[in-house]
Amino acid sequence: MRAIERWVERPLETFLTESAARVTLLMTSSGQVVAQHGFTRSLDVMSAAALGAGILASTAELARIMGARPLDTVVHQGTAVGVYLAGFETPRGRWLGLVVFGQETSLGLVQLFFARLVSDLAQAAPAEAPARQVLAEDFEDELNSSLRTLFGR
Amino acid sequence: MPLVNFTTREITCKLVYYGAGRCGKTTNLLYIHGRVPEQRRGNMVSLATQSDRTLFFDFLPLELGMISGFTTRFQLYTVPGQVYYNATRRLVLQGADGVVFVVDSQARRFDDNVESFQNLQENLLDQGVDIRSLPVVLQYNKQDLPPDLILAPAELDDAFNFRGVPSLAADALHGTGVFETLKALSGIVLKRLAARAPGS
Amino acid sequence: MSLAETLSEITRIPGVHGALVVSRDDGLVVADALMEGVEGDAVAALAASLAARMRGVTTALGQPEPVLLMLAGTDGTLLLAPGPSGLLLVAVAGSDVNVSELRLGVLAAAGTAF
Repeated sequence: MRAIERWVERPLETFLTESAARVTLLMTSSGQVVAQHGFTRSLDVMSAAALGAGILASTAELARIMGARPLDTVVHQGTAVGVYLAGFETPRGRWLGLVVFGQETSLGLVQLFFARLVSDLAQAAPAEAPARQVLAEDFEDELNSSLRTLFGR
Repeated sequence: MPLVNFTTREITCKLVYYGAGRCGKTTNLLYIHGRVPEQRRGNMVSLATQSDRTLFFDFLPLELGMISGFTTRFQLYTVPGQVYYNATRRLVLQGADGVVFVVDSQARRFDDNVESFQNLQENLLDQGVDIRSLPVVLQYNKQDLPPDLILAPAELDDAFNFRGVPSLAADALHGTGVFETLKALSGIVLKRLAARAPGS
Repeated sequence: MSLAETLSEITRIPGVHGALVVSRDDGLVVADALMEGVEGDAVAALAASLAARMRGVTTALGQPEPVLLMLAGTDGTLLLAPGPSGLLLVAVAGSDVNVSELRLGVLAAAGTAF
């Protein structure tokens, strides 16, 4: 499991144990990953997050167009595997969850423990940290060097 | 706003390629995907129609490596250009840290480019974002076509570059200007991040 | 008999706090009749999970699937009756319930409903 901030780890660990989910992603509403479990390649994580965020954004927009209440949850159920997608509020803004589960658990359990995860995250979130220096003023040399490597120049 | 994690020292930025239908947005990403080493990029996700028009978005994650001690990743997105897909464009644009506006340099596409640029500004405003505050780079694509069919960069600057942002000539199909465009936008986005420090 | 009628056969037994019909595979509520304070979604998910585990145990032992599962606690009782159409009948009762009457009621309801 990888979490971008330490306070997410315990609630997520509890969720994973109780739900028996295979793959879990937590991300911001624009698809940037906050925590992950079950992925082997970090770049696949970003693709999954982008797609999950896209699905939830489209669903929310469809509901808005239809004049319905916001649709915050989507479930895709296959024969062997299911995907559960949900949006929820945290003290850090709106996040999204993507959970892949198999026959060793059930949608009901995933939903049940995901609701508990949301409540655990709300309790665990610390106050905002103060802004800090991110990049040195001479970052451009490294950026240029990195892009040159990327493009083989 | 780029996602910054001080604990794991990671930065993730979302860059969106915007423009009229068939102007070369997907072509930019395809070229980048083809040139970048496999370990520095993810698979390209392309949600397209049967006729290869972007339906929802293209997505390409890039691993830039260490910059100023931070592992830096870019997520490149394209939007569907056809007028019909505005609702989808709005969704993809959410959370963008920078935009490449790709202009189809053909004279006959001028009005489509203008409409798309206005559409970009409207969609950003809907999200409470003033385009003047967002890192933007203009790419004048298809400059490889015969001169009598296209508008020169100077003419396109007059029409689109009221802010004096970086503008680059390109031929995305063959790669000219693709790398330079990404480099220009990356630089502005990261510079903005560096400027957001206490006391600066 | 409709699902609602099936559930009311169980809930009319004194001491019963709620009855549910649950989808065994998903652990989702299909129909319910619950008193205030009974968390139907949680009961459904956990009951389905329990039934699935018991099915695993009996299969491993070469035994047929149980027709009734009973979980007796200090504050109450949970009864589950698996059905053939991917459904599960669940009854939640307090400690004051007549367990024998509840057993018969659930078995009878499961027999007629499924």
